[in-house]
Amino acid sequence: MPVRVATVETSQELPMPLIELIDERYAPLLVRDLFAGGDPGPIVAALAQVPELCEATLPFIGAALGPSLVPARLKEIAILRTSALAGCRYCVDAHTAVALDVGLSQQEIMVLRGEEPERAQFTNPVERALLTWVEEVAAGRGQVPAAVGHELRRHLPDHVIVELTVTVGATLFLNRFATALGLPTSAETTARIASAGFTTTNEETS
Amino acid sequence: MSDGSIAELVAAGTLPGRVWFYSNYHCNLAGAYCRTESSPASDRRQLDAAHIVALAQQAAELGFTELGVTGGEPFLLPAMPDILATMGGILPTIALSNGTLFTDHRLRRLAPLAQLPVAIQISLDAPDPTLNDELRGPENFAKVLDAVPRLIDAGIEVRIATTVEADRLDVDQHARLCELHRRLGVSDEHHIVRPIIRRGRAVDHDLGRHFDHTEIPAELTVTVDGAFWSPFGPTVHAGRLDTDLLVTRTIDPLSTPARALAGLVTGLPAGGDAKIGIR
Repeated sequence: MPVRVATVETSQELPMPLIELIDERYAPLLVRDLFAGGDPGPIVAALAQVPELCEATLPFIGAALGPSLVPARLKEIAILRTSALAGCRYCVDAHTAVALDVGLSQQEIMVLRGEEPERAQFTNPVERALLTWVEEVAAGRGQVPAAVGHELRRHLPDHVIVELTVTVGATLFLNRFATALGLPTSAETTARIASAGFTTTNEETS
Repeated sequence: MSDGSIAELVAAGTLPGRVWFYSNYHCNLAGAYCRTESSPASDRRQLDAAHIVALAQQAAELGFTELGVTGGEPFLLPAMPDILATMGGILPTIALSNGTLFTDHRLRRLAPLAQLPVAIQISLDAPDPTLNDELRGPENFAKVLDAVPRLIDAGIEVRIATTVEADRLDVDQHARLCELHRRLGVSDEHHIVRPIIRRGRAVDHDLGRHFDHTEIPAELTVTVDGAFWSPFGPTVHAGRLDTDLLVTRTIDPLSTPARALAGLVTGLPAGGDAKIGIR
């Protein structure tokens, strides 16, 4: 079965968020510290509507997507590819910027964003096995085919596979959250990715 | 989250013992400094009576020691006498009211409260009708003066709350107001004077002053929109609910906001000075 790949369209007309994004004036007590340094970004500003959920969710997101034993490059490959497959404009934009920061090349990022179908940009067998794994997990067709799993286990220990699978799952959660609510890409992110030749994307409807 | 149980924190005085309920947000008045912008046209945002009672029971089981009901005007709800009678059987309860709705019929329905630890706190802001009614609405002064003795005659404990700008109630006015509430049958210990909090409609009328939450007792306050730091928390301005003092959206089980509030309170630096009470 073919993997769904996001078509990437460019547009400057980004959707308005469906819900009110909480700003510093209205930041609830449990999460007020998150606003102390300025705009915490739309994920936090949306989750702050339910402070007890925000308080519980952010540590998980941080653990799943943040720095860990797994190299940042592998994590960003998983996150950006998942986000592109899920058609999440917000997450693709945000993690295009992060991918640039952790050293992925423009050509590699284009592959992950679905703008360049030729996977030959990725020559490392670990990364190729991971890409196949990520695409299967993100597609959500049930248990990943054994051959795909076995190939990944040839390169990575079980705990890294577990963590990267959690990374994909957490990313899918954020993809659905950000897309459903129409969270806006920040001006900083738009500028950052534009400086590398990328434009913000519209939602995929495949 | 707190390290200690709610009961221990309440017993130690770390966490205030009272849990407040916003029974509803609508009101027959539209007071000048109303923190919830309540009026007859307000969205009711009403807590279900059975839910209030169930949460009151949870409050008792958690170790809270007192209950309160505010709004809006709680006595606009036909079920309020029954709600208070049930709550009074759970814990000592106080209900805040503008004192304008105590008809003979309602007084008869409140009769059971005479046998229960339930008090009604009525707002009276000045010793004469001109200033009082300017803030609280036409004929408010006369209605309160009519209601208080009748409630007391019915055996119900009445308290008087005076909400003032710091510069609006001078020594003479205060003395005359105290003379008035004593004459009505309300003792000095049941009269509180509190400042206008600059929230809600008070912002538009340039009344009161801003208070940091650490100056306000952390009395767990339950509304249909969530649980707040204090009854001064779930205010409304320009039709929007203020969420800056929101603790949790979850109100049931009550342990969720109670523990979150306890965590906030125990996380405060020592020497906090919470002194601005609603009662």
